[in-house]
Amino acid sequence: MPNLSPFFVTGLAVGAIYALSGVGLVVLYRASGVLNFAYGAIGAVGALLAWQLLQYELPETLAWLAGIGLATLLSLGYGRMVAPHLAYRDTVVKAVATLGFALVLLGFSRWYWSDDPRQFAIPTDTIGVSMLGVRVTVTRMIAFSMTLLITIGVALFLTRTRLGLLMRALANNRDLSALLGIQVLQVETWAWFISGVLAGISGLMLSDLVRLDAIVLTFMVIPAMAAAVVGRLRSLWGTMIGGLLIGVLEAVATPFQVISPYRSVAPFVVAIIVILWLQRRRVITFAGGT
Amino acid sequence: MTSRSLNSDSTTQGESMTRWPVTVASLRSMAGVAIPLILVAIILPGLLSAFWLRALTSSAIFALAAAGVALLYGRLGLVSLAQVALLGVGAWVALRLSHGTDLPFELVLLGGGIVTGLVGLIVGLPALRMRGLYLALITLMAAGGFQVIVGGTGFPDGGSGFLGRVTSASARLLMERPFVAQSDEAYFRYVLVVVAAGFLLVEIHRRTRPGRAWALIRKSEACALSAGVNVTLYQTWAFTLAGFLAGIAGGLLAGSVGQLDGRNFPASSSILLFALTVVGGVYSWLGPAITGLLYRAFPSLLIAWNIDGNLAFIVFGAALLHALITAPAGIAGQLGDVGRWLSSRIGRRGGTR
Repeated sequence: MPNLSPFFVTGLAVGAIYALSGVGLVVLYRASGVLNFAYGAIGAVGALLAWQLLQYELPETLAWLAGIGLATLLSLGYGRMVAPHLAYRDTVVKAVATLGFALVLLGFSRWYWSDDPRQFAIPTDTIGVSMLGVRVTVTRMIAFSMTLLITIGVALFLTRTRLGLLMRALANNRDLSALLGIQVLQVETWAWFISGVLAGISGLMLSDLVRLDAIVLTFMVIPAMAAAVVGRLRSLWGTMIGGLLIGVLEAVATPFQVISPYRSVAPFVVAIIVILWLQRRRVITFAGGT
Repeated sequence: MTSRSLNSDSTTQGESMTRWPVTVASLRSMAGVAIPLILVAIILPGLLSAFWLRALTSSAIFALAAAGVALLYGRLGLVSLAQVALLGVGAWVALRLSHGTDLPFELVLLGGGIVTGLVGLIVGLPALRMRGLYLALITLMAAGGFQVIVGGTGFPDGGSGFLGRVTSASARLLMERPFVAQSDEAYFRYVLVVVAAGFLLVEIHRRTRPGRAWALIRKSEACALSAGVNVTLYQTWAFTLAGFLAGIAGGLLAGSVGQLDGRNFPASSSILLFALTVVGGVYSWLGPAITGLLYRAFPSLLIAWNIDGNLAFIVFGAALLHALITAPAGIAGQLGDVGRWLSSRIGRRGGTR
């Protein structure tokens, strides 16, 4: 039995970012009914901009903020300009439309930045602390604690603030909320904003922890979605647990030769099992829907 | 809901549904498809370079896979994001059968199709309980899983054992092509014939009992159930048929290239194929044909013109958004509109529509 703790720590950090992305997806899905497939691509474009600015030798903080800012703008842009055209369509059509946005962003970033290998590092990578006999870089600790704090923050925001209340109202019933005089578009815009910020942060962290590559980052949305599925696309805590679980499973399989090449199957297996489990008692209903 | 209201409803979408599979009008429309196709099959291979012949062969193959996606999305409103993965399953089975047995190519193809149909059935089983978003997600997860597994095992290349892998690269075998179609030109014609047969299979389904059942299920499952339609049977049937088409396409692809790389079937391809199917149009056979060309010939065109292939993604993404927001029948629907407009112009010269 190999020593699993270093892999456990790695998995916890990456899993934390899956969870963070998942939280961003869930916040948006609850408020606007859009499951955003472009989430990873938005983060990728933000991270690539940050990398570009670092090449111009701008200060790091500025570059990171610019990356997160661009991700937020992209999210807001889609949310204000494209999403309203599809407001009354099926959930699945809204989700499929974001695939179109993802393709546009992916094509743009691969064309503009070509696919040369490049590196993105946060200075805390080199600082490490020894914990339980394993060296843990500060970046990994930041990833984990940030996810925890942000999830708590978002949960408090949804339950304690007026805007959070409005978002939950929209999640319950959009038409009724609109009848009650809730500014649907305005509340949705906030959801796209929050989700965009989280996409930007996740993009930066993943390009440090995994790889700065447009395709890789774009499809990081799949484990994030798997995490969100564990939370039934509703629960923030479920999403967080799902993300951590997927990250850890994926990493802990690394030292075992037989399953190592197949370890990235973890998010799919977890998601499929959870979906089947959640739907186990459903019979055909006339209402249809999701 | 009577069958008359069903008819009038679906003709507004630009499709004709008749009670009997063959009428004069349907014969005429089939001839309108068959004659150009035969001309293409006879004339085109002689005019094309090897590069374009390959591009068009794989366009035709992916058109067949797209026909399955279009069937599920257009008939039942189900989003399947696993079609290229299913194509990979078909290719895997076909390669394994081809290297492991002496079966003729047609039987190998059929075997791949049947196994993939069964796999499609298994992937689609959850669809009986869930639809919409969760179905899209579960197919995406299945495609992702397939990507990882086949990336690890690779495709059979003439070795022994269940996986059929050889240890040294020099011992790799190519898949046998059918003896009537050894050359690239002949294989292109062969592919066209098989793809046309696949389209015909879909068309027959559309015009007979399953097509009517699907239309009713699409309208309302409650309606369909109360009208005595076996909802479960016809939904699984659609999934199996889509899987079968993908499997046949996979076998054709394996025969075209000879050997396949496990890394060439990522989940992203399935997503792209779905997107392009919506762009091409899901309500008629023309849509998947356009999809195939967009998926494989359009990138080749960009290569030929020395344009960065990544720009294709931007075009495809924008086209998907455009199709979803303003053109639900896709490019095929828009071409159909233009055609009808032209024929009404020619029909009554100077008159209004």
